[in-house]
Amino acid sequence: MKAMDKQIIAFCCEHSAYAAADLAGKLRLHYPENVLVIRVPCAGRIDVIHILKALEKGAAAVLVMGCEDGACHHITGNTRAKERVKYCNMLLKEIDLDGRRVEMFNLSPNAPHKFVKAVNEVVNTIRQLGR
Amino acid sequence: MEPRIGVFLCNCGGALNNIDFEAAAKEVSKLPGVARVEFSSSLCFEEGKQRMVSCIRGDNLDRVVVAACSPNFQEPGFQEVIERAGLNRYLLSMANIREQCSWAHTGDVTAKAVKLVKMAVNKVRLLQPLQTKEVPVSREVLVVGGGFSGVSVAVQLARVGFSVTLLEEGKVLGAGMSELESFYGFDAGQVINGAEMDERIEILTSCPVLEVTGRVGNFTIRISKDGQEIVRKYGAVVVASGYQTKLTSGSEAKSGRGIVSQEEFCRMLGDSGLARQPKTVGFLFDFSDESSRFSTLATLNNALTAKTKWGSEVYVFYRSVKVDSQGTERLYREARDCGVVFVKCEAPPSITAENGRVKVKARDVFAGEDVVLACDVLVGEELYLPAEGTETLSSLLNIRRDSRGFFQDENVHIYPVASERRGIFFVGECRGDLGRPRVLADISSVVAEVHALLSSGKMRVETEKVKADPQKCVACLTCIRVCPHGAIQLVRADGGKEVAGISDAACFACGVCAGICPAKAIAFQGYRDEEILAQIEAI
Repeated sequence: MKAMDKQIIAFCCEHSAYAAADLAGKLRLHYPENVLVIRVPCAGRIDVIHILKALEKGAAAVLVMGCEDGACHHITGNTRAKERVKYCNMLLKEIDLDGRRVEMFNLSPNAPHKFVKAVNEVVNTIRQLGR
Repeated sequence: MEPRIGVFLCNCGGALNNIDFEAAAKEVSKLPGVARVEFSSSLCFEEGKQRMVSCIRGDNLDRVVVAACSPNFQEPGFQEVIERAGLNRYLLSMANIREQCSWAHTGDVTAKAVKLVKMAVNKVRLLQPLQTKEVPVSREVLVVGGGFSGVSVAVQLARVGFSVTLLEEGKVLGAGMSELESFYGFDAGQVINGAEMDERIEILTSCPVLEVTGRVGNFTIRISKDGQEIVRKYGAVVVASGYQTKLTSGSEAKSGRGIVSQEEFCRMLGDSGLARQPKTVGFLFDFSDESSRFSTLATLNNALTAKTKWGSEVYVFYRSVKVDSQGTERLYREARDCGVVFVKCEAPPSITAENGRVKVKARDVFAGEDVVLACDVLVGEELYLPAEGTETLSSLLNIRRDSRGFFQDENVHIYPVASERRGIFFVGECRGDLGRPRVLADISSVVAEVHALLSSGKMRVETEKVKADPQKCVACLTCIRVCPHGAIQLVRADGGKEVAGISDAACFACGVCAGICPAKAIAFQGYRDEEILAQIEAI
């Protein structure tokens, strides 16, 4: 299997990143098609188990995408998500996996370019890491 | 029983031409549980919807996947359709094959579309129906704060038929209103009188709030009145706690030697029996803090009045004049035309006392020279701050404040007057430096919001969308601590054990509690662990 065939899971908050991804589509800002978005009501809903299970199921990387700092629709959801991503990074390090496979991004709903930049960044990282 | 899932594919009127729908339908029909696959090119049009309804009925489908556009855009619409067909509206899952598949990539994306549908099918299989119910709400409203915004909101709420309690910590209503009266040209007495004359408004002065418990539609509030405690129930709380101004610390120290606040200066201007009218008046503003709209307006207004009424020499020392609120630019020009001298300086002027006058020394950036002026009266620079007691109020209400201590000012997401807790609203300058036009707009929108929430006396809510399992809950209080919307409290379960109880009415369904619960006791319908993991399973 080619490196690029591995899926990348993006957990997207419906108030920000999911709307940004929709907008990216509307503006035909193309990004690699192995990025699969899972819609969540708030990045704070995402738990460590969801991220790890995604990696276990064969995802090459997991992105957690929430609102901008200080502008979270649910006040603290994005900061909690960030902490969980940090914790995941630590766990990955313990089993010798690159921490860059799990990343948190903050973006606003009107930031489709930022969404595309973020996913491209991760796709490139995965390309470098291989597998 | 094996679910009967109906999958409805839509090509959005032919806009999704890089998906081979025939091949996709074939793939999708192989998925377990899928009883019917339908293709349409106009699912969101009435004929598409009708066909959906007849398919669901005809084939006895019990769950539906719509593979079309973004759920952010059309989910409520399709929920209504399946409700029309007799299904529970929550038994729907959408696969976004338009914005996040066809439009986002070039080349043939059939494989990705199938994958997205597979994820949605996996999710829909686990969904559970949710019921809605009506809960009674109290039609009484508490307004905290008896300033201009508070009194105006009370009057307008009473006018649309609510019983209002207007609470003021101070001794009288509208204590700070007289200062505003002269700038804005309204009659403070008339505003207050409107509240006092209305029998649907109960006015309680010298009455601070002691405790706020309960949730939207049913707040229990303890109020201190004449040394006694009264307990009342309210459906909503409108906070209009206002602001205060303070002379900056530098000028405060020297106050009393000819340095006055805007308010004191206003009083001097209104005093016809003033012993000696000041010949030279100076103003300072926008040095230690970004000037507020209010202080800009106060400075320009007072400078102009001093010039026209007393004929004094008026100097304004400033860093920059912000004229963004309506009418301020005109006022600024008028002041200049009348002969008020504006001295732009970068650094704050040095101020010393001299023979009972105040000496101001500043570097004029345009002239490039020092300007020295002896003033009879110097109006000091004022900071614009949240009212005293705002901090206490915020902890009583369990609502966060912004970096400057105001309520809601920086919150771009939760709409202007509503807050992170349903049923608690903020109006007026307790939200920051708004200026009168925005305050007036706020007053109307609070009235509209309260009306929408309480006017029918009941509220329709989703029953147990987010629910803590009393068996699994260990009452660790984590969810109560983290809930951004104050929707969780301890309740007694059937066995007498104390567990987390999530109020359906106050819950915003964000799932922060479900994400953090160490006992995994909280199930958030639609976003339960199983449902999220099932989607991952499909990759």
